[in-house]
Amino acid sequence: MGVFSESIEVVCSPAGQPIRLVWQHRTWHVAADPVRWYERRKWWAEELRAERGRGAGLVDYEIWRVQARLNSRSALRTFDLSHQADSARWRMIRVHDAAQRLSA
Amino acid sequence: MSFTHLHVSSAFSAHYGVSWPDELVAAAAGDGADALACTDRDGLYGTVKHVRACLAAGLDPIVGADLAISDGKGGSSGRVVVLAHGRNGGAGYHALCRVVSDAHEGTPAGRGSKRGHGPAVEIGQLARRAAGPDGRASGSGPVLTVLLGPYSDVGQALRNRSYAQARALAERWRSRMPAGALVVEVASHLSTPGGNLSTAHAVRLFKLAEELKLPAVLTNAVRYCREDDAATADVLDAVRALTALSKLPDLQPNGQGWLKSGKQMKALAREIAREADAGAAGARSLLATTAAVTDRCRMDPVGDMGYKRPVVPEASVIGIDREPAAELVQRCEDGIGRRFPGIGGTAELRLRDRLSHELSIITRLGFAPYFLTVAEVSKMITGMGVRAAARGSGASSLVNYLLNISHVNPLDHGLIFERFLSRDRSTLPDIDIDVESAERHRVYQQIFDRFGAKRVTLMSMQNGYRARGAVRDAGLALGMEEGDIDGIAKQLWRFSARNFREAMEEKPELRGFSAQVEQNRQLDLLVDVTERLDRLPRHISMHPCGVILGDETLLDRTPVQPSGLGLPMSQFDKHDMDPMGMLKLDVLGVRMQSSMAYALEEIARIHPDKAAVAAAGHHPEALAGGPDYIDEGGRIDLEAVPLDDEPTYELIRSTYTLGCFQIESPGQRELVGKMAPRNFNDLIIDISLFRPGPMKSDMVRPFLEHRHGWAPENYPHPDLEPVLKETHGVTVFHEQVLRTFDVFTGCGLAKADEFRRLLGDASAEPAVEEHFRGKALERGYTAETVDKVWNTLKAFGSFGFCKAHGAAFAVPTYQSAWLKAHHPEAFLAGLWEHDPGMYPRRLLVAEARRMGIPILPLDINRSSDKYRVERVQGEDGSGGKLGIRLSLAGIYGMSGAELKRIVRGQPYDSLADLRARAKISRPTLKRLGQLGAFDELNRTAGRLGTASRADIVHHLDKPPVRPVPRRYEPIEGQLALPLGDLELRNLKTQLPEPTTLEKVKTELDLLAVDVSAHLMASYAPLLKELGATPAQDLLSLRSGTDVLVAGIRVATQTPPMRGGRRVVFISLDDGTGCVDCTFFHEAQEKAGPLLFGTRLLLVQGTTRRTGPRGMSLQASNAWDLAETGTLPLPGRSQPEPEPGQPTLELPPRPMLVGLNISG
Repeated sequence: MGVFSESIEVVCSPAGQPIRLVWQHRTWHVAADPVRWYERRKWWAEELRAERGRGAGLVDYEIWRVQARLNSRSALRTFDLSHQADSARWRMIRVHDAAQRLSA
Repeated sequence: MSFTHLHVSSAFSAHYGVSWPDELVAAAAGDGADALACTDRDGLYGTVKHVRACLAAGLDPIVGADLAISDGKGGSSGRVVVLAHGRNGGAGYHALCRVVSDAHEGTPAGRGSKRGHGPAVEIGQLARRAAGPDGRASGSGPVLTVLLGPYSDVGQALRNRSYAQARALAERWRSRMPAGALVVEVASHLSTPGGNLSTAHAVRLFKLAEELKLPAVLTNAVRYCREDDAATADVLDAVRALTALSKLPDLQPNGQGWLKSGKQMKALAREIAREADAGAAGARSLLATTAAVTDRCRMDPVGDMGYKRPVVPEASVIGIDREPAAELVQRCEDGIGRRFPGIGGTAELRLRDRLSHELSIITRLGFAPYFLTVAEVSKMITGMGVRAAARGSGASSLVNYLLNISHVNPLDHGLIFERFLSRDRSTLPDIDIDVESAERHRVYQQIFDRFGAKRVTLMSMQNGYRARGAVRDAGLALGMEEGDIDGIAKQLWRFSARNFREAMEEKPELRGFSAQVEQNRQLDLLVDVTERLDRLPRHISMHPCGVILGDETLLDRTPVQPSGLGLPMSQFDKHDMDPMGMLKLDVLGVRMQSSMAYALEEIARIHPDKAAVAAAGHHPEALAGGPDYIDEGGRIDLEAVPLDDEPTYELIRSTYTLGCFQIESPGQRELVGKMAPRNFNDLIIDISLFRPGPMKSDMVRPFLEHRHGWAPENYPHPDLEPVLKETHGVTVFHEQVLRTFDVFTGCGLAKADEFRRLLGDASAEPAVEEHFRGKALERGYTAETVDKVWNTLKAFGSFGFCKAHGAAFAVPTYQSAWLKAHHPEAFLAGLWEHDPGMYPRRLLVAEARRMGIPILPLDINRSSDKYRVERVQGEDGSGGKLGIRLSLAGIYGMSGAELKRIVRGQPYDSLADLRARAKISRPTLKRLGQLGAFDELNRTAGRLGTASRADIVHHLDKPPVRPVPRRYEPIEGQLALPLGDLELRNLKTQLPEPTTLEKVKTELDLLAVDVSAHLMASYAPLLKELGATPAQDLLSLRSGTDVLVAGIRVATQTPPMRGGRRVVFISLDDGTGCVDCTFFHEAQEKAGPLLFGTRLLLVQGTTRRTGPRGMSLQASNAWDLAETGTLPLPGRSQPEPEPGQPTLELPPRPMLVGLNISG
């Protein structure tokens, strides 16, 4: 379901893992260990410039898949969040229908 | 415990790695690592640079290679990383070198893995090498570690989740490899879960290792230093696959393959272990195993790799059976007898003094075998009948002179041995030998045969991306149209890719392109991507002259791969020689040597005996019938010609030095014209002055002023007069810098050379200055004097030239001028044949025309496959002059086989004869006719009113006659009836003889040489109308006259200038001579795109006298001569081209431009 991009606020643990996020004025608490990976960007098609020294975030961007709930009784939702390293912005890019487990 | 990266590809993994070894080492050191591996793809290309960087940064180097594994059927089954174990006397390193060579054996040279037939090693062979020197597992364990990671066949199977297959493959590895050698490599780039290099993928490897009880290490499969570089890696992948990024099927999954910090790698270990359900213990175990493998692979550069320990061939191989030092002494003694017969008195004392000085240094350093090796090679080459001469600082050595390696007497020219070798330098000196270019391959083969294949390899060189290639490949990666990329590449090729943006802002000729970029997003991206590629290694190739000579352990210390010449080539380049203690000889093929050898042969061939040669060359009569340097048969020994021949210096002073070695460029002709060399030492000075340093700093002007007496010489101190006298007080030579240091500080010449090397090094120079000033003041020189002298040293120290280099170069310079002065026909024939120098052949033909040497046209019977001197019968039947007959070899479209057949079957008495016996194609036949090769046959066909050349061509154009049935073909050896050419005799006379203009056009099309007349002749009427001045008339004008000149561009140069603003020199040939035009900034602006883009130019400017025989032009404006509509014809605002006035263009060929004198 829902693939889009909306700006959100995220609070991370000292180890850098998201623990809370604020989306559409509601606060969700991350309930299980999130999974994160780096997704490739087609920078040659999307970017205006690709100069040396540009820094991180040109070739890939970070995605966190978190399972969060509003309170201890509500259902777990799975969200995909994107994190732009160079601008420290977080965006909600996907909301899944139901909780999903990723298998290795 | 710090983390060590064990899988790292540097930029020397062509089209794969991005970062230079020292960048990677600096990053690792900065992060607190104590070791770093370099595991380049397919070889040890970056290894030595890596070791050097590690030593400088205090890291332990780990060396290895990323190799493909062959499946035994010509395909590859994955890649593995092979690491050498260290601290075992080199056993690991030797095995590594050997296994890399194994991988390359049998591969076609130059074919990288992108074409699918790249280097690969078979598992069994890898296992044998890993086991140790004797090929079997020994008590001391394996000497190599093999990492099975995500790119191995096991890793690839796991990527596809083929667990059973992965297990089977891993078992096979385990069974084949010696115990302890096999290690699993766990690496995650945190890519999309489940995909290639994802954590899931890493976990599968981790678990497999656990299951099979194999050790597992953590790496990051590093290809670049920083995150930002990942985009460059993408581009390299696209280029390697020759596919646009958008279409590339197997892109890196993301950009996480950078040299992550220890902290990040430890976090990664935890992440992988957690996902594998192995917890903190799993992470600890991964990291501990990584550290353990690191420890056993730490290299001891000296003990394992022979770092900086020179190795030379064994004495028995060099052909000596006694102690090398004693042998060297004896050979020098023999040399004295040969070079200095009858020497005595003070001269002998001086000689022996110098000799013992040199020998003591050589023997103390243990380099006697080195000199004997080089002497052996030199002797071998001259024994082959090939010309050879040492170039470079080797000319400083008397020992070299006595061993016949060099041909300059260092005592005659004040050359200093310490400039070449001193007791303080422990590295092998460099000796370069120039040989005839045409014989170079034969010389290499002979060296291999003589020393044995295991002691000799060729050397490689890394070719980095330059602007044009970078633009092309960047465009390819971005998916741009080839035509568009081409156009851009053509405009940008002169600049370094790194500085495109800067160049676009500054250079007037790029304004158009700059505007384009502003409007086109893709172009903007193109510039960025191109800048990323700048200078990255693009491919490895054979170094054109380097030969490495060692003992029988050579191939243990360097891996080799095919060179394309049929001889193996080391993967190390010239920067790696010193660190690896390798003796490298540069055997340079110099076309001028081939030209001179050719000229000498022609002289001997055309003149029957010594007397004839002496007469023809106007050589001085010595005792009893001619000079010593000509033998009875008429062969000249060029090395025996005395260096004081006045006609030679006259020729040089005339500046008509086209074709002469080193002094034919416009800039050199100007300098020679101003300087007016009178003797050999002057030549040395001229060559030494013509360098970026002196030209850029104000060295030449004061030198000339002093020399001509326009300004009094002044010496900063009388003590320096003997040192600087020969250059009139100006410091020009390194040797003078050395002596200056010695005079002022008493440091000795060896130390002085060290100081000299430090000049110009911003960090080291202050210490040198302090020492200099301190010592000089101590010795009583005034502060003012010390100041003055130091400033000179500082300014010229790093710019000066090694006089020995100059001396070595001056020899062939002198010899070529000597030949031009005395035997111009043979000399020019040699130039046409071997095409040395900067100018196209047509200009050298024009030079013959200028000198009044008959240029004999192509003739089917008289021309051969070479340019030959031929005697032209005088009109009165006398002996006549010597001319040069054109060669059939230059004809467009004629195959080598055809040429051979024609020459073999000469002479022909008719076209039919030619057709029957030479069996050449119809197009070739026609072209020969067009070029007039049958004109003579036609003339002797014997009839009144002979047909024209056009008639012949027309006849040849007709469809061929039915071939004669076999039984009527002439039998081998059967003579034809002397009927002459019936075909030609019966030709219908219909067409007029082609005009000279038409002939020249044909000649340019088919030979690229205008033979019958100079190309510019067709422009004569136009030039008259424009009021252009012929080049030969310029000298008679007053300096400062406004003129128009025109011609074909034959040289374009942008040498470095004082003040930094670019000046462009363009030389034009108008058939009467060369005009050298100087374009300063304003003129460059006016000329715009014409500056580099046009062949035929009309230039307006002011004459400028540059010397007694020199006149150049300071340009103010320029036009394209071929665009008659734009020319400033008098009285017309918009002139029309004259109808019926044919003008000629040069055939489309690469531009005759582009010489940058760089330092």
